[in-house]
Amino acid sequence: MRHLSRTAVASGMAALALVAGACGGDGPSATGTTGDGGSLKAAPGFDPATNTIKVGIISALTGSGAPIGKPLTAGNEVFFNRVNAKGGIAGRYKIQFEERDSANEPQKAVAAYNELKGNVALLAQTFGTPSNKALLTSLKADGILAAPASLDADWVREPNLLPIGSPYQIQAVNALTWYVTEGGGTGKKICALSQDDAYGKAGLEGVDFAATKNGFTVASKQSFTITKGAEAGAAVQSLKDAGCEAVFLGALPSDTAALLAIAARTQFAPQWIAQSPSYIGALAASPLKDYLARTFLVASEGTEWGDETVAGMRDMIADIAQLKPDQQPDYYFAFGYNQANAVVQVLEKAVALGDLSRSGIAKAAEEVGTLTFGGLTGDYRYGKAANRVFPRETTLFKVDPAKPVGLAVVKKSFTTDAAKEFKIG
Amino acid sequence: MTKLLELTFSGTIRGALYALVALGFVVIYKSTGVINFAQGGLLLLGMYLTYNARVTWGVPFWLAVLLAATATALVGALVERTVLRRMVGQPVFAVVMVTLGLLIIVQQVIPTIWGYDRLDLGDPWGVRKVSLGPLDVEVKDLWTLALAVIVLAAFFAFFRFGRYGVAMRATAFDQEAAIAQGISARRVFALSWAIAGAVATLAGVMLAAGSGGVDPSKDIIALAAFPAIILGGLDSPLGAVVGGFVIGISQSLTSGYQPEHAPFLGEGFDVVMPYVVMVLILLVRPYGLFGTREVVRV
Amino acid sequence: MAIALPRLANREMARSQSDALRLFPTRWSRNATVGLIVAVAAFPLAVTSEFWLSVLLFVGATAIGALGLNLLTGFTGQVSLGHAFFLGVGAYTACYLGNPPEGAPAGRGLPMVVWLPAAAIVPALVGLVVGPAALRLKGNYLAVVSLGLVFLGAHVFKEWESVTGGSDGTSVLPSLAVGPVDFAGIGGLTKNQSLFYLVWAIVAISALACKNLVRSRPGRAMQAVRDRDVAAEVVGVSLARYKLGAFSISSGLAGLSGALYAVVLTYVEPGTWSLPLSIQFVAMVIVGGIGTTMGGILGALFIGALPELVKHYSASIPFVARTATEEGLSLPQLNQILFGLSIVLFLVLEPRGLAALWLRAKAYFKAWPFSY
Repeated sequence: MRHLSRTAVASGMAALALVAGACGGDGPSATGTTGDGGSLKAAPGFDPATNTIKVGIISALTGSGAPIGKPLTAGNEVFFNRVNAKGGIAGRYKIQFEERDSANEPQKAVAAYNELKGNVALLAQTFGTPSNKALLTSLKADGILAAPASLDADWVREPNLLPIGSPYQIQAVNALTWYVTEGGGTGKKICALSQDDAYGKAGLEGVDFAATKNGFTVASKQSFTITKGAEAGAAVQSLKDAGCEAVFLGALPSDTAALLAIAARTQFAPQWIAQSPSYIGALAASPLKDYLARTFLVASEGTEWGDETVAGMRDMIADIAQLKPDQQPDYYFAFGYNQANAVVQVLEKAVALGDLSRSGIAKAAEEVGTLTFGGLTGDYRYGKAANRVFPRETTLFKVDPAKPVGLAVVKKSFTTDAAKEFKIG
Repeated sequence: MTKLLELTFSGTIRGALYALVALGFVVIYKSTGVINFAQGGLLLLGMYLTYNARVTWGVPFWLAVLLAATATALVGALVERTVLRRMVGQPVFAVVMVTLGLLIIVQQVIPTIWGYDRLDLGDPWGVRKVSLGPLDVEVKDLWTLALAVIVLAAFFAFFRFGRYGVAMRATAFDQEAAIAQGISARRVFALSWAIAGAVATLAGVMLAAGSGGVDPSKDIIALAAFPAIILGGLDSPLGAVVGGFVIGISQSLTSGYQPEHAPFLGEGFDVVMPYVVMVLILLVRPYGLFGTREVVRV
Repeated sequence: MAIALPRLANREMARSQSDALRLFPTRWSRNATVGLIVAVAAFPLAVTSEFWLSVLLFVGATAIGALGLNLLTGFTGQVSLGHAFFLGVGAYTACYLGNPPEGAPAGRGLPMVVWLPAAAIVPALVGLVVGPAALRLKGNYLAVVSLGLVFLGAHVFKEWESVTGGSDGTSVLPSLAVGPVDFAGIGGLTKNQSLFYLVWAIVAISALACKNLVRSRPGRAMQAVRDRDVAAEVVGVSLARYKLGAFSISSGLAGLSGALYAVVLTYVEPGTWSLPLSIQFVAMVIVGGIGTTMGGILGALFIGALPELVKHYSASIPFVARTATEEGLSLPQLNQILFGLSIVLFLVLEPRGLAALWLRAKAYFKAWPFSY
């Protein structure tokens, strides 16, 4: 029961809160602010005696998913600690988090879920598409809300899931529409290269939609199998033979490196436009950095790391400096930070509605209205699952090794008309 | 035509990597009769130690490789000394499982020390390339090819003329008779593990050089190299190298032509192609192309 | 190549052939078995923690596969790293026949009395087809080729989308009713409590079947193949027949295990049936005790429950990182290291596994207080 509890750190946070002093909203004064002060009933994961809300995190903390799962989880932690430092949810309910490792394997995720479900209010992170699919049946049966760390469009219409961000499809539609209109790609040969699974297919769906809306044809579609070090030379060679001038890429970073190394060697330099998880900051420090700087665009969200004109970024940088100074700039961290933000907004609503039970939290997710993230990711309007409105904005980055994470903005937070027409479910 | 050349070349490079890994398997099998599933672990260790010496300590690249190879060789000998020696005379699968257990341990210890993130090896090649007729090739690739050939030649000379090489062959042939001739079987066993460690380091370095990157999942190549050693025969260095090239090139050609010409085999068939080749060859020759048939005396 | 098993010296001496073949060699072992069955039956009523129930559900599901592998490895001496493949075949058979027709991929909506036996029969038949090729090989070669089976199988699972759902995977929601009894919730019990009875009943039946098999004529023939295959052939044991038979039965039990594993998991994808799963099974057999029926179950319990125990008491382990952001050894890493260590240590120090530790303890208490 008590494993992984963060009492030590939580008390550290409390100390910080005392030092900061400024936030007068914590402690006794908060009691009067909610009409039902102290009357919240005990529920799974919520203990009225200690005023703590426990949330679960199931992430990839080992294995090949760890370079993504660890910063994501760190993002969760920093945001929750920030909220706790200010007194907690509604200024009085501290958040405690329990982390479990799934190694990005569904069976481990299910085992972790069974362990956590009895004593958490919700799951603040469930990592990866396969694990989310594995958990969905149980989540529905138990009525638990979970925030998926995956931009699959399937999640939008699931009442038990709390997705954030523009889906992969939107990334592809926006980026390619931009390319053929103002990005200098009018009349160019456009191709696609994706890994042969749900993640790759999501991007391809967007590519096809963009092609229909903008009246171009996809000259060549190649796929490769996700195995570390798969022989990907043939796929790249085929794209080169087809004379592709732009290629939409749906890969994971280690495969991106292998694919681009072959392209660079064979002097194949199309305009690469990549689905966000294809890129990782380490690539901008690798020997491929010059090739990337010349040819590579990343379709993602938000703003440049360290862009203090955006409120959300300013807060996040300040939180990192205060709570986790050794954190390297990392967009997965930002995703985890935003995800925890969404969870906190739902919990605030549940407290305002006076019910922290599972059905209370589900109701809060329906009635929370629009979730906002200070410009780090697009606004997400919640409601009944069928009426959710997901963000449709994309920020295009180019690779610039001098920048943090190696990314500089090309065009910030834009929504194309084609993306507005894209429909899910 | 360019496509065929291109595919054959990249298959050859992949084959050279398989061959380097496979040689590590062969040297242990040849003297101790053990398939070392922990070879991938030695590869990771050699790779990370090179990274550590090169990037963290700033040692010149080749010196870093030398240091790492020496250290990994010592670890190999130590593992043999402390664990595998106790398994002499145990059934095959027990020994296989011990090496698998060791692999599982190494796979966790490495990221505990160096983390999961992708790192750069700091090798002198980067993505530099040269033109060879119609092909552009990476300098790193040429080095990989050269190393595979050099290590094979060294193995050949060692087993043929080296004092311990001959001792190793003798031990493998008949342990008791070899001991009666004054050969120290213990030293031979430890030596074979040490050599495997050094060769694994070279394989790891070539795998991580250039755009390859250092990360803890690189050991997967050891599994992919299995078909190569089985194909060549477990106890033949030449077989390991030939097997490596056959597997590498067939994999590359499959990835190039199967999607067009045999789409019914499904996407990503190239990944399993090595196993298909392996099974087909074994059905015809149960001890591989160059392997020695085991003689069973009743 | 043969697996030489040390005789269990401290077993009660068998005075005649029939003594040696008894189901329970001593009254002690019979009482212990009855006690165990009662304990298992009472467990879901006494322990209502969903977590421990689910841990033991996985343990039960995998124990069936471990019994099968033990038959092949422990009693017939054939090494297989291909067990995960047969689990997959069983699981997808169950999905295809048992899943509701309106799902994607569509199932046939057949009742449990059809899909559960089929989940054993289909893999057993596949085993019969694959077996002759695999069993031509010995020792190391067989180990590596069976490894190839896992990779080739994963490719087929990934491509056969109409049955397996491809790389998207498939939910596993077959009907769990046998006549009036629905194991999705018997009476007022929860799903996990009810499933617990289903899974452990099948464990008990499988264990009994294995035990009976190994003490019958085919079982003795199998052990003869293990101990000295040439000698066995000389005395008239057909090597091909018994090797293949053992391979097929082992595959069938693996399939049954895979089907239940999938039901407990509720969702499977091709990556589920990969090499690490095969390794787990071999580890269960090693840790539990090679060549003992009880060993398979004990091994599954040890491998399945140890990580959970470590997690549970991790607060008292000093050097372990508690969260993702802390540096150093993390809990999941520690668990994996313990898993690897337990394989190495058992093989080096107690190759006969937990079952032998148990016999040793029993022998000690039998002679107590006169220990010798």
